[in-house]
Amino acid sequence: MTAVGGMWLVRRLVASVAIIVAVVTFVFILIHAAPGKPCAGQPGEAADPVVCEQLIRQFALDRPLYEQYWRYLVALAHGDFGYSFSLHRPVRDALAETIPFTLQLAGAALLLDFVLGLGLGIYQAGRVNRLPDVIIGNATLFIYSLPTFWLALLLLLVFGEKLGWFPVGGPNDPIFCPVIDSAYCLFDRLWHLVLPAATLGLVGAAGTARFQRAAMLEVASQDYVRTARAKGVPERRVVLRHQLRNALLSFITRFGLAFPFLLTGAVLIETIFAWPGMGRLAFDAILARDYALVTATALIASVVVVAGNLLADILLGIADPRLRVRGGGELENVTA
Amino acid sequence: MPRRAPFQVLVILAVVTLAGCERRGGCTGAYCGTLINAAVAEPPTLLPPSSENVVVGDIGEQLFLKLADVGMSTNTIGDEDFQPLLAQRWEWDGPLTLVFHLDPRARWQDGQPVTAADVEFTFNAYTDSAVGSPFRPKLRRIASVTQRDASTAVFRFHERYPEMFYDAVYHMRILPAHLLRAVPRDQWKTAPFGRQPVGDGPYRFVSWQAAQSLELVADSTFFLGRPPIRRLIWRFTPNLQVAVQQVIADQADVREQLVTPDNVERARAAKQLTIYPFRGNVYTYLGFNLRANGDTSKPNPIFADRDVRRALSMAVDRASLVKSTLGDLGKVPPGPMSSLLGIWDPEIRQLPYDTAQAARILNAHGWRDHDGDGIRDKNGQPLAFHILVPTTSVLRRQYARLLQEQFRAIGVQTDIDELEFSVVNERLSSGKFDTSVLSRGNDPSPGSGITQTWTRAGFGGSNFGRYYNAEFERVVDLAIAAPTRERARALWKAAMETINADAPGIFLYALENVAAVHSRFDNVQIRPDSWAALLRTWRIPPDRLIDRDRVER
Repeated sequence: MTAVGGMWLVRRLVASVAIIVAVVTFVFILIHAAPGKPCAGQPGEAADPVVCEQLIRQFALDRPLYEQYWRYLVALAHGDFGYSFSLHRPVRDALAETIPFTLQLAGAALLLDFVLGLGLGIYQAGRVNRLPDVIIGNATLFIYSLPTFWLALLLLLVFGEKLGWFPVGGPNDPIFCPVIDSAYCLFDRLWHLVLPAATLGLVGAAGTARFQRAAMLEVASQDYVRTARAKGVPERRVVLRHQLRNALLSFITRFGLAFPFLLTGAVLIETIFAWPGMGRLAFDAILARDYALVTATALIASVVVVAGNLLADILLGIADPRLRVRGGGELENVTA
Repeated sequence: MPRRAPFQVLVILAVVTLAGCERRGGCTGAYCGTLINAAVAEPPTLLPPSSENVVVGDIGEQLFLKLADVGMSTNTIGDEDFQPLLAQRWEWDGPLTLVFHLDPRARWQDGQPVTAADVEFTFNAYTDSAVGSPFRPKLRRIASVTQRDASTAVFRFHERYPEMFYDAVYHMRILPAHLLRAVPRDQWKTAPFGRQPVGDGPYRFVSWQAAQSLELVADSTFFLGRPPIRRLIWRFTPNLQVAVQQVIADQADVREQLVTPDNVERARAAKQLTIYPFRGNVYTYLGFNLRANGDTSKPNPIFADRDVRRALSMAVDRASLVKSTLGDLGKVPPGPMSSLLGIWDPEIRQLPYDTAQAARILNAHGWRDHDGDGIRDKNGQPLAFHILVPTTSVLRRQYARLLQEQFRAIGVQTDIDELEFSVVNERLSSGKFDTSVLSRGNDPSPGSGITQTWTRAGFGGSNFGRYYNAEFERVVDLAIAAPTRERARALWKAAMETINADAPGIFLYALENVAAVHSRFDNVQIRPDSWAALLRTWRIPPDRLIDRDRVER
């Protein structure tokens, strides 16, 4: 890495940390300012004032907001995410249990999104305006416009309840595989992962396919592609070597954008599919006004999104020699 | 050898691997069996005094015994209908003293005997403000609990009343003093014991995978008899529809409340399920705020007028609403009560559905449509208000819309505020609402619930609308103190007729519960106040065992 590249990376890292701190601050203020109390109890049930008072004192929720924020930052600097008063346990423990599940779900969805989306986009680009392209184009548009929760409920109803091909919710079979301790249980986990990952991944794949098709077509009219064909290079090689490689820039950009989509989608999907991930944890925490847990999940989510985008920018720089770093620390298209 | 594509090789490898991983099974006989309950909530802790959460109660039934428990009749007056559990027998030692003799066979699951010291310790913990138990107010009439000897516990009461025995046994699950004494009381909610409890009930705690499932296994040495079902699993599914789907798809065995007619129909259509209706413990009403919105020191300009409340009540066709939304799963309550309560009586006098009479009353009170816009008004103020409803309840939101239509028909304008439940609760607690569609759950005693919601004792608590009628409270007090069940019923009827005439709310529906249970289970007994209370008696005949019943771990 060049000195300029190193400087760019340092600047991006500093900016990333600033963004994360801003997100945490914003979420911290927002959740504290939101109406509703952390000890609200069930709808229509009056919270016991004694219990409520105890909780407020125990977690110093009666202190000024700036003081609570300062305490939170100091604790965070020591690696302490605080205590969840809705779960009655340290936030760190709750996160440690749920993050792996969200990574499994998001990873599987990402894989499906890009493998299927990329494949369909390339296939369509090779058959522009022919019947397969029209059919796939309409199908991807249909899937892309579906509300995720509706698709989730539909898949559950058809493949879970009616056909019984896949499990209805949960990450594993609670009888035979409460933990993954065998190959059978590994397959059981994958089997349970199919519907939630398909819900998230299919919608993403539909979008990726449309992006990729457009990128491939844009590149197809470039001189170097025409030249390759004129030289008699086999079509497969033209597509994969010349066209796809140059069309990957939009794919990498989409990779960076996929993280926020996956994390926000996970909140809904994990709740519907009873998947014990961080999204469901965050959703429950918001309803319970569990301040420490909400802020911690927002922190983790912002780290993942910022890291994903940073990675995408680095990959862009590597993938496209035309993109170079100038002294100011911005990625620049030197041909523009 | 022919060359195979990598994908084909992978598929063959997967099939071979799976074939080598056959499911472990083998249990046969009368004490096998697994029950998976599709639960829609997860307990925050399993330490009984720390939470009133329904699932904590369901699991608590299996882990921690009470001294005695109500019977299938759910009669809470006197002690004749109660079933002994930890207490082998009991006797009255004077009008205010109740003596329990513990069963000498009772043991904690670590081998220690259950003693009167545990009973004394339990009472002290439940009533300690540092523990912050939601059951504490229900024990306020018990003066003390002491141990006479290792197997004799003595309860002393402040006063004599018909539900003394009920109060002594129903709210407390006896706790192991030797395991909890060292835990500071203000840390009980977070105590490790709450996530890995040691009980004295028919089942032992095995494991708890957060947000996934919780497993209990039958205690083969349980002193009241080994439970026939060997393993109980609570599978936590935050969405009711998905929980119902799990039962229909044969991936769970029990869903104790199906809630909607559609779910009941789907469950009926599933061949492997049997449907068990039982009395519900919830009623729902449109509560009027009798004080000004946001200022409890002033009367509400609309709802402080008893006649206007009566007119609004008469404008709602409760029977049709129940029929159209709940079918057989709901009934119109004859007052603020669920069908669980023994005081339910269709003969209780209620306001009729009579829109003509409602219109006459409103006209007589000056609420007329003076400007011809279809909305009644008086002194320039329209007869308009907001209905507050939590987004979490589909049924209540649906009801809010139906009420809106019915009120519109008599010239009353309503706006619906659908808000998140913590915001709804904050508004209710601070009196910042006009009306709200509220649900109340009852325990089997009418005394506690009605007092908390409809008397001055509930000001600042669950009496959000701040309803007060001295005559109603007098009759309620008499009913609570009534010496016989018949006398209590008569007094409760009088109290209900008083509150119905006052119309502090419109009592919309009382849910009837319907449980779906896998048909292989036999001797399924569901006690209306706690569906899981008698799980220890359910069984699976050996010839009906399926794969998940036989599994050995």
